[in-house]
Amino acid sequence: MPATDTAAELRDVTKRFGAFTAVDHLDLTVPRGSFFALLGPSGCGKTTTLRMMAGLEQPTFGNVSIEGRDVTGVPPHKRPVNTVFQSYALFPHLSIAENVAFGLRRKREPDVDRRVAEALALVELADLGDRTPSQLSGGQQQRVALARAIVNRPAVLLLDEPLGALDLKLRRQMQLELKRIQTEVGITFVHVTHDQEEAMTMADSVAVMNRGRIEQLGAPEELYELPCTAFVANFLGQSNLARGTVVEVRADGALGVDVAGTRVLVRSDRAATTGGAVLVGVRPEKITMLVDGQEPVPGQNVLGPGVVTDVSFTGVSTQYQVEVPGIGTFGVFAQNLAGAATVALGAKVHLAWAARFTFALDGREDATEGTTDVDDEP
Amino acid sequence: MTLLAGLGGAAPSQVELPRENRSRAYRGLLAPGLVYLVVFFVVPVASLLAMSLYVPVQGGELGDFRPALHWQNYVDAVGAFWPQLVRSFWFAGLATVAGLVIGYPIAYAIAVRARAWPLVQRIMLILVVAPFFTSFILRTIAWRQILADESWVVRAMTWLQLLPPGGRLTATPFAVVCGLAYNFLPFMVLPIYASLGRLDPRLLEAGADLYAAPITCFRRVTLPLSMPGVVGGTLLVFIPAAGDYVNAALLGNNTNTAMIGQVIDQRFFRILDYPVAASLSVVLMVVILAIVAAYVRRAGTEDLL
Repeated sequence: MPATDTAAELRDVTKRFGAFTAVDHLDLTVPRGSFFALLGPSGCGKTTTLRMMAGLEQPTFGNVSIEGRDVTGVPPHKRPVNTVFQSYALFPHLSIAENVAFGLRRKREPDVDRRVAEALALVELADLGDRTPSQLSGGQQQRVALARAIVNRPAVLLLDEPLGALDLKLRRQMQLELKRIQTEVGITFVHVTHDQEEAMTMADSVAVMNRGRIEQLGAPEELYELPCTAFVANFLGQSNLARGTVVEVRADGALGVDVAGTRVLVRSDRAATTGGAVLVGVRPEKITMLVDGQEPVPGQNVLGPGVVTDVSFTGVSTQYQVEVPGIGTFGVFAQNLAGAATVALGAKVHLAWAARFTFALDGREDATEGTTDVDDEP
Repeated sequence: MTLLAGLGGAAPSQVELPRENRSRAYRGLLAPGLVYLVVFFVVPVASLLAMSLYVPVQGGELGDFRPALHWQNYVDAVGAFWPQLVRSFWFAGLATVAGLVIGYPIAYAIAVRARAWPLVQRIMLILVVAPFFTSFILRTIAWRQILADESWVVRAMTWLQLLPPGGRLTATPFAVVCGLAYNFLPFMVLPIYASLGRLDPRLLEAGADLYAAPITCFRRVTLPLSMPGVVGGTLLVFIPAAGDYVNAALLGNNTNTAMIGQVIDQRFFRILDYPVAASLSVVLMVVILAIVAAYVRRAGTEDLL
């Protein structure tokens, strides 16, 4: 084992295709043994980043290293990484077993048959070694692609939207299975996806990418609970963002923010800036609606009154849209603990949430950044 | 089947017709082709088979034959002309190998190397096909000039001592094989081009990702996946080359270059020995069929590589 805790590292990497900058001065460190997700909308540079790790693209400048060894300029066949391609790219002229054996045979490794059988067993395709790729379903081909990469025990396994072509149900199943396999084999996974739920379900660390840069990097719950840009707030789940101005820094460390004449509190360690214009944010499931003069719990932020303009029942929860004059439309998710929707369309409500769930972003940001171009169900 | 695949024949698309109309529609569409095949293939082959067993009319004129079952024609024909028969397959085989060696890199350059530049691809394809715009005979005669005693080819080869002083290329087996390889080259290039053009470049990335150096990638991925084109191309060159008589007639010397096509031509049109000409044609056809069948069966499996 090399004496480094870093599986892969990109230092100030830029990749240009003609005039288009796909990856822009990117720094990235993938810890050994982690399940690392690169999340972003199409065209954000996540696949290009992955391909530079694989050696299938060379950076315009910057350095790529794998396990502490600089591999910039090293061709893909000499890198200790393997890729699960989006299209699977199985060799149609070879049997499943020979597909899986391909890498081992190139490296002239011993025990090919046993290791291929083990890899196929790991992905639960032990009996299909003699078939050809065209005889397998999409989900099975996906597993073969995984086995073909994993059998080589790479320093880093690169997964390029591997579940993109599967239907929703199979995708959810494969997400859990990928996570199981990663835990079982302990190989570092770098997983590229545009599906925020997929990234959050599987990864230990998520790097949210936008326009060739990393917007924010952290554990899924960190990113979700405390997004630090409007893009992350909107791309990862949904957020309610309202414009305000910091008018007070309190002794207890909270910021008092004026939002259209109403004072809301934000913990200063949850604020991207402590003065001037801010975007005050809160996640929809954190909000409760107060009707008919219900009193907020002390310590809650309250906005309103607003009018319920939309009610969609989704089974587990009900999603409301509440129009607050002078502030905007807020989304509210309420669990259907007491049966169906409890608040009617057109009702006048106040919005209340615990101050500790509030976050504040830089007020110069576009509050709609990251809300469009989200195609998480292609 | 392999031939069609190699030629890039489009996959049959599903035509949405009500079931009861569908079979009638298919039959209707097949009719012209069936009629054509019966009139121009089945009937001629049957009459060729019959003719190969005819015997001369006693006291008749030259070229008068009557129906019979004279199997001895085959023994006589093969007994007299087996050297030309063997030579035909030998020359055709050499021309096929030469065509493959020259044609594969051309097809590879067009389909793979020039993939990013469609205009370059188109120009190169036109260059491959362009010779067809001039007459087959003229192009073959041009090879006489190319290989003439004073030509730069001969001079260069003499200088390189590949050819002894005073050596010639005209009217040699070499000239005939050159002509065959040249004339049928597009039939080699196009099917291989079609096969390589369908090759998913992502498979090469997968190969590289799985530790295959470029040359290994070619041997393990590109080449096996272009085999339908190679099989198609070699058949399209070998079959007509084996029966060709123009190249042997124009570039050969009538002694050690005569091919079976020339013999058949002479028997039919000069000597008017129809039964022997017909039986030689049948033998040619049967041997080609046997070779092709064996070849396709072998090429259909991976152990060809």
